[in-house]
Amino acid sequence: MITLQNIEKYYAAKGLKSYILRHVTTTINQGEFVSIMGPSGAGKSTLLNILGMLEEPTYGTYEFMGEDVTSMNERKRIELYRNHIGFVFQAYHLIDEMTVAENIEAPLLYKKIGSSERKSRVADMLDRFNIVGKKDLFPNQLSGGQQQLVGIARALAAQPSIILADEPTGNLQSAQALQIMDLFKKLNEEENITVIQVTHSELNASYGSRILHLLDGVIKEDVSVLS
Amino acid sequence: MFKLNFKIALRNIWKNKTSSLINISGLAIGLAACLLLLLYVAYEWNFDRQTADPSNTYKVIVNNVDANGKITGTWLASTNAIAPLFKLEYPEVQAAARIDAAGKKLIANGRKSLKRAACYADPDILNIFEYSFTAGDASSAMAAPNSIILTASTALELFGSTDVLNKTVHYDDQIDLKVTGVINDLPKNTSVAFDFLMPWSLDEALNNWIKEPSWGNFNYNTIVRMVPGTDMDKFNQGIKDFMHRHNPNANAQLLIFPLSRLHLYDTFQNGLSIGGKIEQLRLFMGLAIGILLIACINFMNMATAKSEKRAKEVGIKKTIGATRSSLISQFLMESLVLTVLSSVLAIVLIELCIPVFNNLLDTSLNLDYSNVSIWAGLVSVVVLTGLISGSYPAFYLSAFNPVQILRKRTFRSGLLTINLRQVLVVTQFCFAIVLIIATMVIYRQIQYIKNRPVGYDINTLVQMPQEGELYGKFDLLKDRLVKSGAVTSLYQSSGTIAHHTSSFSNMEWEGSTEADKSINFSQIATTYDFVKTNGIKLIAGRDFSENFASDSAALMLNSTAAKLMNLPDPIGQQVMYHGNKFTVVGVFEDFIQDAPGTKETPLVVAFMKGWSGVVTMRLNTANTVAENLATIEKVVKDINPAYPLELSFVDQLYAEKLKSQEVLGTLSNMFGGLAIFISCLGLFGLAAYSAEQRTKEIGVRKVLGASVASLLQLLSVSFLKMVGFAIIISIPLATYMMNNWLKDFDYHTNVSWVVIIATAFGTLAIALLTVSYQAYKAAKANPVDALKYE
Repeated sequence: MITLQNIEKYYAAKGLKSYILRHVTTTINQGEFVSIMGPSGAGKSTLLNILGMLEEPTYGTYEFMGEDVTSMNERKRIELYRNHIGFVFQAYHLIDEMTVAENIEAPLLYKKIGSSERKSRVADMLDRFNIVGKKDLFPNQLSGGQQQLVGIARALAAQPSIILADEPTGNLQSAQALQIMDLFKKLNEEENITVIQVTHSELNASYGSRILHLLDGVIKEDVSVLS
Repeated sequence: MFKLNFKIALRNIWKNKTSSLINISGLAIGLAACLLLLLYVAYEWNFDRQTADPSNTYKVIVNNVDANGKITGTWLASTNAIAPLFKLEYPEVQAAARIDAAGKKLIANGRKSLKRAACYADPDILNIFEYSFTAGDASSAMAAPNSIILTASTALELFGSTDVLNKTVHYDDQIDLKVTGVINDLPKNTSVAFDFLMPWSLDEALNNWIKEPSWGNFNYNTIVRMVPGTDMDKFNQGIKDFMHRHNPNANAQLLIFPLSRLHLYDTFQNGLSIGGKIEQLRLFMGLAIGILLIACINFMNMATAKSEKRAKEVGIKKTIGATRSSLISQFLMESLVLTVLSSVLAIVLIELCIPVFNNLLDTSLNLDYSNVSIWAGLVSVVVLTGLISGSYPAFYLSAFNPVQILRKRTFRSGLLTINLRQVLVVTQFCFAIVLIIATMVIYRQIQYIKNRPVGYDINTLVQMPQEGELYGKFDLLKDRLVKSGAVTSLYQSSGTIAHHTSSFSNMEWEGSTEADKSINFSQIATTYDFVKTNGIKLIAGRDFSENFASDSAALMLNSTAAKLMNLPDPIGQQVMYHGNKFTVVGVFEDFIQDAPGTKETPLVVAFMKGWSGVVTMRLNTANTVAENLATIEKVVKDINPAYPLELSFVDQLYAEKLKSQEVLGTLSNMFGGLAIFISCLGLFGLAAYSAEQRTKEIGVRKVLGASVASLLQLLSVSFLKMVGFAIIISIPLATYMMNNWLKDFDYHTNVSWVVIIATAFGTLAIALLTVSYQAYKAAKANPVDALKYE
């Protein structure tokens, strides 16, 4: 599904290149649950951003579902966001001016899905995450865990084939964190959704099937997790 | 999507109440000012377009030429000989009407009598103007000489009804006329205004001299309707020597000028239109757009200042599949919602202001909600405003890159955007400062010309029209008024002393050249006591006196006239005045008869018994004004019972001359004030956001020991710098503009440093107050609250 070939990322400041990523080469297949780990500043988030096409690598090739992403135009990329990629952020990043239901509905609107289909999918999501009672509340009226649930529901509403999560439990208490990780695992196993998460926690990583250890921009280890 | 965007727009407005309030009220004021001025512009623009065929309706005007064939002036009037001959000689003239605006005349139904604007015209006027008849019809209404057409309000006042066809009215205390038509009231924006209309044949029957085709009396207007498709240049070429052809003594050149353009382009030089009221209209358009732009700038600044907050939303939306165009349309939608809300408020404001505005400009503007074009105008202004004010924020915000926003939590807008915001603020204040300086200069100029000595004793001087019995029994009136003690002295004259009424040329005197014949003199015809009643200062000679029988052919000159005629010793000189020999008996000091800001024109005051129309009286200061007026009314009513008494104070008439300047002053004052107010609203909003953005910085600085004063300075200085910059830019601009404006006056003040310094400090003070309120609030806040934030 994802093929990275010799990806490099650096910033040139005053003639000095400061590398964030070096020689990153890997393949991620449909249905994998990958955790990217490493100390602060290792380049985890940058790698995830590159995977999510939010950032461009300075060098190297990136193929997403057989297509070269580096030469892709904005319109095409937005098509991918609409149909294949769901983002989950550490700070949830819900839209403050929208209610829970509207937040979940928003990607469907951009995908130009019909009104009745939208209604049923939103209802389905609300139901599935047990937040039907909260559908008319605004994000700032929810707890962090609930906001993250809405965030995941929003990512899933468009029925993506891959979820990119940047420290999804970073701002949550441990009980809520466990709930979120269970959810990811379930999605991965039951619906065959590819999950790529950045995490600091060994425990979170243990939910996945594979761990990429990053250090100073280089993949040091690529291990499979045995469950 | 639309519905959701709409909902979010409303939520955003509700959530950010301060900025919404600033935006909505600013935009509402801007829109109201703009729409009001546009209404006025439309009113002026539609002047004289009520004709049946506006594009083919023309007025006959006259270029006066001197002996060398050089055009010396253009008169927007013509003689009574032209219209009938035009119709005879030119097939391309479809209709031609002479119009004699007879001023206010008496019209009565039994004992009920009114003085209303009268007008005589050829029946062809009904083929040129489209009056809407509620009774009678255009084809027959003016056929008989003793007929009269009333406007609806005149009919109502006279009869209490508009159903008055074939009823009789008594006109000018002379003759009974039959009502042959009632028409709806005329709009105010027409140059042919009247309350009742009578056929030309009646004018001829009542006034003998009008029967004679005249080539020298330019007291009438001629309006023609041309056959569509006529080549006007060719036609104008053909009628150039029309007068000379018919009368070898007449040299003036005729031309026809589109009636609907004449109102706005009535200033002529060398026989060509060089502008006129259109300049004032352009100024108003500029003001309207300027005020609206200031309000739009507020909107843009607030929107971009808020960008930090909106940026997150943009970033998220982009990651869930929003395209740039969908974001742009969302932001535009928000600004449109806001503009529509403002426009509702603007309409309320307009309704509140329209009476004042109408009063000020003497117009009859109104928001006619059934008028489609008003709605079209309103909608287009609102949509345009929404798009202009929304476009910059929309393009600016939608261009954000999601990573930058979502990753870095402290997002700084780039150097360029800050600069643009500053440029916009500077622009706003430049506009406001220019307007304020203009207001102050205009006021000073009005004061300056108001304080110029008038040249006669203008207080306790009253005048009334000389009508009915007051012509024949003037000596009796004079005798009885003086004896009553209400009046110390009075005189009759052809026109008021308060403003210019009549002029002539072709005067000859000893040593005068052919070129001197084209000099235009003002004239007043009078009998005895002109100098005494007015309190005019004689330089040489004497007033007309009953002791000199020869005074029946005497005249006096003002000092400008005496200088112009280059007579070393004018007293006793013989001059040819209107072809008759007159003797100069006195020279008096110039008094202000024309515009108070311009040099006096040469004036001839001639002794003439047959030509009068105004009685001017000096009140006796021993009695109160009310007593005097009551006595005068009693005496005049006794002599001339048919006419209502109309007394006017000369100082009030004089004050009317300053009206156009005062209107300009009031307008620029109003709009200058609005501009400053809206600009400060914007500044207030920007300061609030800047304080909010820098909460953390302020918290840190406070913890490090910064004083409130130093924080105030920190927060205010950047804004005051912008205002200061605006002052530096706008002062030379305003000085240049106002010096240009002042050039039109022969007597004028200057753009003084006092005005400039006062404006500069005033603006800075207002801006400082605006900004420091926010800065003070931020600086006084508890640093812990600020630092808890992140």
